[in-house]
Amino acid sequence: MAIKQKYRWHSRLTPWILILPTLIGLVVFRLIPIVSSLVLSFTKWNLITDPKFIGVKNYTELFSDPDFWKILGNTLKITAGYVVGGMVFGLLLALLVNNRIKGMNFFRAAIYMPVITSAVAVGIVWTRILGPKYGILDFLLGKLGITAPYWLQDPNLAIWTVTFVQVWKMSGYYMILFLAGLQAISKEVIEASVVDGATPAQRLFRVTIPMLSPTTFFVLTVAIMDAFKNFELIYAMTKGGPQNATNTLVYSVYLNAFSYNRVGYAEAIAWVLMLVVGILTVFNFYVKKYWAQPLE
Amino acid sequence: MKKTLTIVLVALLAFSAFAQGASEASKEGETITLEWWTWDTGMIEQNQSIIAAYEATHPNVKINNTVIATDGGAYKTQLSVLAQQKALPDVFMLSSGDIEEWASNGLVRNLDDLVASDPEIYDKFYESMFTSLKDVAKTDYLPGFPFAYVSCDLFYNKDAFDAAGLAYPDGTWTWDDFLAAAKALTIDKDGDGQIDQWGYYGYGRYAEAQAWVFSNGGVLTDNVKHTFEPNSGALDAIQFMSDLVNVYKVAPSPKDMSGISYKTIFPNQIAAMFVDGGWFSDDFRKNIGDKFRWGVTRVPVGPQGKAKVTYGWPDSYVISPFTKHAREAWEFTKYIAGEGIGLDQFMAGKMPAYKALVESDEFVDMTQQPYGDMQLFRDHASDTFVTSYTQGWSEWVGYGAAESMGLNGAVDSILNGEATLSEILPSLKLSIDKILARYY
Repeated sequence: MAIKQKYRWHSRLTPWILILPTLIGLVVFRLIPIVSSLVLSFTKWNLITDPKFIGVKNYTELFSDPDFWKILGNTLKITAGYVVGGMVFGLLLALLVNNRIKGMNFFRAAIYMPVITSAVAVGIVWTRILGPKYGILDFLLGKLGITAPYWLQDPNLAIWTVTFVQVWKMSGYYMILFLAGLQAISKEVIEASVVDGATPAQRLFRVTIPMLSPTTFFVLTVAIMDAFKNFELIYAMTKGGPQNATNTLVYSVYLNAFSYNRVGYAEAIAWVLMLVVGILTVFNFYVKKYWAQPLE
Repeated sequence: MKKTLTIVLVALLAFSAFAQGASEASKEGETITLEWWTWDTGMIEQNQSIIAAYEATHPNVKINNTVIATDGGAYKTQLSVLAQQKALPDVFMLSSGDIEEWASNGLVRNLDDLVASDPEIYDKFYESMFTSLKDVAKTDYLPGFPFAYVSCDLFYNKDAFDAAGLAYPDGTWTWDDFLAAAKALTIDKDGDGQIDQWGYYGYGRYAEAQAWVFSNGGVLTDNVKHTFEPNSGALDAIQFMSDLVNVYKVAPSPKDMSGISYKTIFPNQIAAMFVDGGWFSDDFRKNIGDKFRWGVTRVPVGPQGKAKVTYGWPDSYVISPFTKHAREAWEFTKYIAGEGIGLDQFMAGKMPAYKALVESDEFVDMTQQPYGDMQLFRDHASDTFVTSYTQGWSEWVGYGAAESMGLNGAVDSILNGEATLSEILPSLKLSIDKILARYY
């Protein structure tokens, strides 16, 4: 009896002891910073003195600032462009490399290289390429008699240029995800559609893409979250300019926290960012049941 | 069990008695440790040499040097965290852009008592730099120890001047002289309709645009009302910069030069003249080498400007108000600002605050460019220095990661021909006044 009681006490505590290191890590490095961040968003804090509670003033200042709405608009534009571009190019590249041709692994690795390259290095190189006077792209277009626009200096164009570079950098990552999804599709289903007389386009749109929907859902969710983490390219290429044209919520958090020492205000922006990402992600999960079907 | 516990307790008691004795021994020896924070990562080894030399003559003082780069705000952020905890290093570098805010929050030690006890201090160091630091910090006491001074100056390509048959600028130039030279130096060398060498390049960066502003008697802010109030001297200077690009076409627009670093435009001979910090002398020595001959001189004086008024500011050490060793920190600070360092520890183009270094023969190094033009930095020691520093300066000026915004971004828009000065001024004033209102 005494041995049985000792075993029951031990069995209740053991799982908690085993997950304790992870729990401590989650609490210390995730939960506490998140809660602290929320509390700090209601303070005025310049880092060098104690935070001072100011209620919702950071939020009222934020929502009454015309620049904030422009920055929010920029963020949503980049998100839309990045998600659509990343997914479309990722899928196209996955379809292209989903072949057993000799040397295909080289192409998969080459397409993936920008993903693992430093974003700052990518930004610096693309800024050189897109330079109006000394950039190679404008030089080549000039040889064809085309006057290139100011890719990064035109306020209406800069945001799409930065988005394009971000898509170029990350398409390889989504290619890998789509490739895994493509290779999980049963070959018999594809062969059956061939036997039924489906054209390649019909096979793609009526068989492959629907069966890829769980992967597509995953890629969409990840791409939405990635779209908001666009700090390094903007820092390297445009510094949020020209005239706030490429300033985004993340970049604004950085500026306010580390350049202007307005930590409380930066936290308020960060929480607005979190809410935007959260709303989009929840919406994505809600509509999932209408289009993302599990593979049978 | 009881016996074991007793032995352990006795052993612990004995150890603590020994430890207490050890700390008492260290109190009697009075070995003091000073924490010294700096941001120049190129000086790590030299700092250790400085420390070794100081400790050899001050055996009761131990120095710990922490070097953190300013890139990405790392130095300032880590220092700020210590400030909030009231655990600042005893001696640390502090930017002139931050000293007013730090002084207003009681985070710098008032050095007046230490200066008063050191009557020879102004025999050894330039008093004008100490006065300038008080102006920058807007304090009626000395908030730090300036160890160097930086100015903004005009760099020129001597080979380009020779090829154009022009006399070199001699420090007495007016804007008209500058414009005439810029026109002669703007050349399409191969006749393809594209300018190969511009007379000048500059953009909205603080060290360029404000050098022109202050050379024309310009003022940007009202330091009583704490609002953005550019006078006619400042507005005319910005208009002059715009006219160089859009009217006289002797300078390219910032948007045309994007894609290449502004630091490389003068060394790559894309522009024959360039205004920025005198510290570029060091950069150009390394990057230009013997590729072409270059010089440095004063920024030309505008119609409303006065001679020997220079846009410049001090680099300073600050002593922590929380230090327990103020006297030792002061003695060490004097050492690292003066006799403990040599010219090799200064970037060329920075003026040491220590007179002996500036007045030495080595200061005007005739074996390296810009040769005799280094005399300019000696001459600056007797100038009137002006700056635009206020609290919130980084934000309203548009500095570093914010350079596409603020005054910097606005000037760039004007130079790019996207807006005129009169169009942009009202919204610029609104946004800058809003920033300043947060601090004053």
